Amino acid sequence: MSLASRLPSGDGDRALVAGVVLVAVGALFALTPLQTTLPGAFYVFIEVGTLFAIYGMLVIGLDLQYGHTGLVNFGHVVFFAAGAYTVAMLAAESPFAGIGLGLPWPAALLAAVIVAGVLGAAVGTTSIRLRDDFLAIATLATAEIFHSLFVAFQTIFGGNVGIGSIPQPVGDLVTDTDTAMTANILLLGGVMLVTLAAVTRLTSAPYGRVLRAIRADDLVTRSVGKSVFTYKMQAFVYGAALAGFAGGLFALYNGAIAPGYFTIQVTVTVWIGMLLGGAANHRAVLGGLAVIMGLRLLSRFALDVAPVSSSAFASIRLIVVGLILVAVIRYRPAGIWGDAKELGVDT
Amino acid sequence: MTLLDVQGLSKSFGGLQAIEDLSVSVDEGELVGVMGPNGAGKSTFFNLISGVIQPDGGRVSFDGEDVTGDTPESLARDGLVRTFQHTRELETMTVRDNVRLAAPDQPGERTLPALLRTGSMQDREETVRERADELIEAFEIDHLADEYSSNLSGGQRKLLELARALMLDPDLLLLDEPFAGVNPTLTKEIAERIQDLNDEGMTVVVIEHELETLTALVDRLVVLEQGRLLVEGDPDDVLADERVIEAYLGGDVE
Repeated sequence: MSLASRLPSGDGDRALVAGVVLVAVGALFALTPLQTTLPGAFYVFIEVGTLFAIYGMLVIGLDLQYGHTGLVNFGHVVFFAAGAYTVAMLAAESPFAGIGLGLPWPAALLAAVIVAGVLGAAVGTTSIRLRDDFLAIATLATAEIFHSLFVAFQTIFGGNVGIGSIPQPVGDLVTDTDTAMTANILLLGGVMLVTLAAVTRLTSAPYGRVLRAIRADDLVTRSVGKSVFTYKMQAFVYGAALAGFAGGLFALYNGAIAPGYFTIQVTVTVWIGMLLGGAANHRAVLGGLAVIMGLRLLSRFALDVAPVSSSAFASIRLIVVGLILVAVIRYRPAGIWGDAKELGVDT
Repeated sequence: MTLLDVQGLSKSFGGLQAIEDLSVSVDEGELVGVMGPNGAGKSTFFNLISGVIQPDGGRVSFDGEDVTGDTPESLARDGLVRTFQHTRELETMTVRDNVRLAAPDQPGERTLPALLRTGSMQDREETVRERADELIEAFEIDHLADEYSSNLSGGQRKLLELARALMLDPDLLLLDEPFAGVNPTLTKEIAERIQDLNDEGMTVVVIEHELETLTALVDRLVVLEQGRLLVEGDPDDVLADERVIEAYLGGDVE
């Protein structure tokens, strides 16, 4: 085993290169007269793919917190929402509801990262020192509280309608829908890969070794001289800030936000994706997320041919997702691509 | 010179006085054994010194500085390193990573150097790897280096824990029952390692039930009973002491 074999992983570098290339190609579509025409049947795939890129950033951040550090965050959506609402409130120009300051979107996006990070720090400071399960409760509660606030304060957050007129950097440059969609998925996919590269660098460095040690045993990690609380806070805040970044990008992509986009469903989706794929492995959690989102997509088509009403079908879909989760936990407790020994689960 | 000085230490858990007005000091380069019947407060004593739990009263000084109430992590960085009675391996990590983890001063454990993958991180990591491999080899667990530590036997775990502690280059090493659950051959081997470390100048304090090995090993014995210091001194004298025999055999049976 050579010295360099376990240090910087090649995965991170490949993701970085691929991410930069995707962003460059996306920018080409956004900035030049270059155009694409997509077959109408493709739209749904592009839409889900774009959402996958955004949720991908959520699952990468969640995996840094849970998969690597062992922090149970059941309110990941709140950081996603904090980022989205920050961008909306700062960048929207005279929206029909709520407030909008009309600031330039890059400034709003930066603010989104900071706000989500600060919210993460606030939740972390109060809960991380406590027992593990208290963090789970605190995050879940925070997410529910904020969701209610977004709905209740109509003059600030726009209530159930949400906030519109958010600048769409791509949509404003490209008028043609097909080209805008292509540019969006390439740009967001590229950005997701760049964040994947950054997090991979962290986790493959000695930094990641400390995080995994904390997940295994707090006290041992402390007794070999590592400031466990600092690392837990950092991992939690980085995951939160990354979710804020994803939320900000979502607002800029979608052009409008509403509480309906930020329900507990988001947290559930990224958690299932992470567990399905295999926690503590970046590629695995993205794979798991792809499986669960692909299933949703598939079920859209299945609905057309299924001989049941759409509400019955929604229930069937939940049952199927639940059964898959049960099967994975029963037969592959570490996830489809997860390492059982690394996660300390019995197979 | 006194390396560790404990004065009037006390700690109670609810109604139980686990440690009461305990004063012990350890000189630099000494090899001290701590013994006592079950529940005498040996492990609590270690937990108090190493910052795992906070004392109710008293003072702990290490290397001339008051470290009472310091956290385990800052004490470990200062050179006071401990092992645990029930070995605590990082079971989801390989033997190699267990040992490497303990390396001090790795800039790659901070966000920016890790993200930028700085030269100083890579250079340090190279030294860490070499040192870790040396220790793993010295403790003869190199054939297990890439195993997850959950696959190790009790004795191998003790060796791994020792190797990991040594990665920190401690000034004072606190070993909590290093021979517990270890077969006689390995016990002898671990005892020799401890002796070697002490010969090289490391100060070591050992808690142990295994009296024969302990008395043969240490320079001085400290006997605790019900949280108090019962006797201390030369191992042979201590073992001959009436009070010790009474504490161990249970003097007055009613």
